[in-house]
Amino acid sequence: MIKIGLIIDKYHLEKKVNEFLRYLKTIADVSIYLEESHLLDLSELNFNEDIFFVKGKGELLLNLVKLIENETSIPVINSSKAIWLCFDRFLSSVLLKKAGIEVPDFSINPIGIQPPFKDYIIKNVIDQKNYALKPKIRKVNGHLQVSDERALNEAIKGKEKYQFFYYQKFIKSKWEFKVYSIGEDFYFYKQIPVLINPDKMKSRIEINPIPELRDKVIQIKRLLDLKITSVDFLKSKDNVYYVSDVNSTPNFNYIKNGPKIVGDYLIEQAKK
Amino acid sequence: MNIGILSKRTTNFTAKIRSYYEQKGYNVKIYTNMNLSINDSLIENDFFILKSKKLQLLYAGYFLEANNIPVIPNTKISFKCKHRIEASFLIKSLGFNSPQIFLGKFEAIKQELDKSFFPLISKPIMGSGSRGVKLINSFRDFKKDNNNIFYLEKLIVGIHYIAYFINDNICICEKKPLVDEHASVILIKTPSDIRDIVLKWKKKYNLLFGHLDIVRETTTNKLYIVDVGSFPEFSNWKCKEDPVSRIGDIIIKRYEMIINKQIIKSKK
Repeated sequence: MIKIGLIIDKYHLEKKVNEFLRYLKTIADVSIYLEESHLLDLSELNFNEDIFFVKGKGELLLNLVKLIENETSIPVINSSKAIWLCFDRFLSSVLLKKAGIEVPDFSINPIGIQPPFKDYIIKNVIDQKNYALKPKIRKVNGHLQVSDERALNEAIKGKEKYQFFYYQKFIKSKWEFKVYSIGEDFYFYKQIPVLINPDKMKSRIEINPIPELRDKVIQIKRLLDLKITSVDFLKSKDNVYYVSDVNSTPNFNYIKNGPKIVGDYLIEQAKK
Repeated sequence: MNIGILSKRTTNFTAKIRSYYEQKGYNVKIYTNMNLSINDSLIENDFFILKSKKLQLLYAGYFLEANNIPVIPNTKISFKCKHRIEASFLIKSLGFNSPQIFLGKFEAIKQELDKSFFPLISKPIMGSGSRGVKLINSFRDFKKDNNNIFYLEKLIVGIHYIAYFINDNICICEKKPLVDEHASVILIKTPSDIRDIVLKWKKKYNLLFGHLDIVRETTTNKLYIVDVGSFPEFSNWKCKEDPVSRIGDIIIKRYEMIINKQIIKSKK
């Protein structure tokens, strides 16, 4: 039987993978590496798994993945590079922009220095923890200025080791488009942007594939080294799709048969 | 020529190299976390020197390199030297010794770590030098914050050295354990085994200058690399050459080399 190592944090284990684990245990031997209780010894290299799957993005998980990649040939989905670039909004934006993929304009500024655009959203630059967007929305001289409470707390209240804001130009869009990709498969949805309706699932509907978005997701996966992902897009009034978020640990429960699709994909990708 | 310096402060080595370049007629602007905005407005210099590795400065480095502006030392190696686990991979890939490393939350450490591993040294994962470094003799010495991930290294007992290098010029001093780069040190004659390590390190990662903290373990006589740096302050450089002018010159040479490569690449 194929051996699958699940690298996960408590939040995802308790809330996001019940059905997935039930299915996985019928097709594979599963070992669990839990961030909260695992002591990582960098000299300890007794892995006997055929593949690892990562559900989480915390510091210990990320370094465990780096160790596996550095010291073994066991495949890991997603890679440490993919996880890192997905939770670091600034670095992924730099990389995607360089490759010609449209991302909203962005700027990092010390607190008190305004960005070079008037309508913006202040986001947490490192989106590594498991908590949801808490937006504060205001209009200043006709310009929309949104700030995520998490970003303000991290920079102003010294919760993280930086004192700057990451600004992203605000893209007005009627819909937020969401594309899931598991291996070679793609699933397309749209929903009302969360700033307008925080209950994203209430308005989410499945839509026909959009070839332009599919091509962009293929390119993003290659650039960020992703095998499984979800990518969010906003469509501007001049019909340009901007990437607003790339996720290395998408919630595949929202896809019909998602847990089975992911489980079968992992078996297929396991070390021969 | 316009030179930007990404630095956490405007004093010390940064001030000296600025003054050296200004005497040569170059325009120099220092960017700290107080005045550094990272967007297209930053692309106003011919190249940048990445003196410090605070997150904002590293971001600037990545941004500039993505826009084909040279950054010296390059951002990737600067980041890896600053990230202790990445640095341990760099050390291991050369076959050198580094201390045994553990990573975990307090409860996991308490449950899983054998007491025989004490004493350990707790360090920030992102860091260099002695900032945030603490000796841990028992479980009682931990700050019991279970949100925190602790990075721990096995303490290597032995003689501590700081090995600076600028090009092939190596300057090695003996120092007290667990003190910062600026504490008093004693210049020693370069041991050949340490010289070999430094030269291999420099060559493998294409470094112009930097430093290694090395410990010779008392019981085994083995050398362990316990810290690495891509741009030290050189405050304990005890050798003849002036580090500021030497580093200033080799940075300009590296910049010219990068530009020549870019020109050749664009012609192809």
